[in-house]
This record gives sequence, structure tokens and C-alpha cells, in this order.
Amino acid sequence: MHEIGVRETVQFAGLTFNWETLVMTWISMAIVLLIAILATRNLKMVPTGAQNIVEGLIVWLREQTLTSLGPKGEFLCPLIVTLFLFLIVANWLGLVPTMASPTNDLNTTLGLALFIIVMVHTLGVYMKGMHYIKHFFQPFPIFVIINVIEEIAKPITLAFRLFGNILAGEILIIILLMLAKWAILPSVAWLAFSLFIGGVQAFIFTSLSLAYLANAVKDSEE
Amino acid sequence: MIDINATLIAQMLNFLVLVVLLRIFAYKPIVKMLKEREERIAGSIKKADDDAAAAEATLKQYQEQLAGARVKAQEIIDKAEKRTREDHEASMQTTKAEIDQMKHAAQLEIQRERALAVEKLKGQVAALSIAAAEKIVSKNIDAAENEALIKEFIDQLDKDKIGDLPC
Repeated sequence: MHEIGVRETVQFAGLTFNWETLVMTWISMAIVLLIAILATRNLKMVPTGAQNIVEGLIVWLREQTLTSLGPKGEFLCPLIVTLFLFLIVANWLGLVPTMASPTNDLNTTLGLALFIIVMVHTLGVYMKGMHYIKHFFQPFPIFVIINVIEEIAKPITLAFRLFGNILAGEILIIILLMLAKWAILPSVAWLAFSLFIGGVQAFIFTSLSLAYLANAVKDSEE
Repeated sequence: MIDINATLIAQMLNFLVLVVLLRIFAYKPIVKMLKEREERIAGSIKKADDDAAAAEATLKQYQEQLAGARVKAQEIIDKAEKRTREDHEASMQTTKAEIDQMKHAAQLEIQRERALAVEKLKGQVAALSIAAAEKIVSKNIDAAENEALIKEFIDQLDKDKIGDLPC
């Protein structure tokens, strides 16, 4: 029986790692890479089959990125594409029996959220310089408190939203199976809903990351 | 359940690795291919437009040439017709003139011949008169005999058809 919330850990170089999360992450990465490589192995001018799907996804995410970030955000397209593809595969992986989503671990979601936020501030300072730092103190210097709270809230909300959705989904799958053996219909319905949730959460995480990045990268109209 | 440990750092690194790998294996080739496709489509559209324009220009040129040729052909036909008519008229004139001349010549000839014949006839009539007179004189002057003589003379005249005068 799956023990909810208990994680198998390994020690390596004095550090503790959640073994299941790491393995599931590597499986997700492998699936994403496999799909990407298989779909783009033999690129054709006139696309067919799998190329259509992967190409469509990449074109769609690229357009989203360019719309949000402007032409200067071109170099962030691979990041956004990877973020979405990884998250959707990771979210759906937990729906496969015996598998678990890497995103049901706060370490994964907070890791990604912090990665994005660190990137936002680094890029902000790098691309806008003092102007970026100054905007935390506007319209009055006292606003820096609210702004800092907001900046701290960003990765936390980003991380917990995804973590909570996916963990809750997986817990409910287990609970529904434990409740009654005959409850196939609710289980199936919940699986379908989890599929939807996985896609939506991946999209929300990607969109919010884009919005935060836009703050730092996009030229302001001033 | 929400214990945070070194997995967080590992996940960041994992994600970074995935970004790099996806960029190399999927993003770059697809974007490159998209650019190529875009260029190709733009090129095709431009070429199609150019071809259409060229075709239209050629068609216009041909139509102009055709119109020019038609006008020229008409001109040539007109000219030929005119020349034929002129030639015909000229030859008619010549023929008429020739016919007139021939007629004139024929008339002259006829008059000349006639005059000649009258001249000849005159001479022969004189000779006949003399011959008749000789005959009358040599015979006895008898009224009945004279008459018979003259009759015989005239009969001979009819019979022998002295001379070949056409009149």
C-alpha cells in the first residue's frame, strides 16, 4: 500500500535526496526528450504525424513567449518550451499506475519556481540595470515592503499551486481506490479530471512564469 | 510531506539539463526548419506573383503584336487589291487602245482595198465596154441581133464573173 507523504530518501555526499522524485523526474525528462527527438529526427518541410504535434506545440509556446516578452525574449523560448513540456509530462506521469508525478514533491515545484524567480531578477538587473531596482521603490520608497512581499509570494504561490493540485489529485486517486473496489466510475472520472488538471496546471505555471519574466525583459513604454 | 532537502537543488539542475538538451535536439532544428519553410513559402508566393505578372506582360505583348499584324495584313491586302485593280484597268485600257487601233487599221485597209477594187472595176468596165462595142460594131447592125448580143454579153458577164471584186 502506498504510504501518502512518506518519502524514501537516499544520502549522497552528506545530502538527502528524495529518491522516488529524482527517478520520476529522470523518467519524465527521458520521455520529453524521446518524444522531441523522435518527432524532430526527420524534419520535413511538409510536416506529417508526430512532427505536426511537437511542431505545433513549439510554435504555440514560441508565439506565447514572443507576445509576452517581445523580440528580446527570443532566447527564453527554449526555457518556456521545456517548462511546459516537462510539466505536462510530469503531471501526467502520476496517472500511470505504479508511477508518481515528480511535481507531487514540493522540492520539484519550488525548485522550478525559484529557478524562474532567480532568472527574473537576474535578467531584470542585467537588461534594465538600475531602472529595474528603482521600480521596487515606486511610487514611494515605503512601497518596497509590499513589493518585496509580492516578490517572495510569487515563487511560493507558483510552487504550492502546482504541488497542491498534483498531490491532491494523486491522493484522491489512491483514496478512491481504497474506498471501494466497485467505485470504478468515480475513479475513471477522477483520472480524466486529473488529466485535465495536469494540462491546465502546466499551462498556468508556464503562463505565470512568462508574466513574471515579461516584467523583467519586456521594454516598458515609458 | 513538505520537507525540503537537497532534492530542490537537484531538480533545478535536472531542469537546466533538460532545457539545454531540448534546445539542442528539438528547439533549434524546429525553429531552423520553420525559418526555412517561411522563406520558401515567401519565395514561392513571390515567384508566383512574378510569374503571373510576366505572363500578363507577355500576353499583352502578344495581343499588341497580333493587332499590329492584323493591321499590316489588311494593309497588304488593300495594297494588293489596289494594284490588281490598277493593273486590270491598265491592261483594259491597253487592250481597248489596241482594239481601236486594229479597228482603225482594218477600216483603212478596207477603204484602201475598196478604192483599189473600184479602180480595177473601172478599168475592166472600160475594157468590157470596148469589147462589147467592138462586138456590136463588127456584127450587122440589127436591132434584134443587137439585143441578143447584149443579152449574151451580160449572160457571159454573169457566168464568167470577170474579176474577183468583193463588192
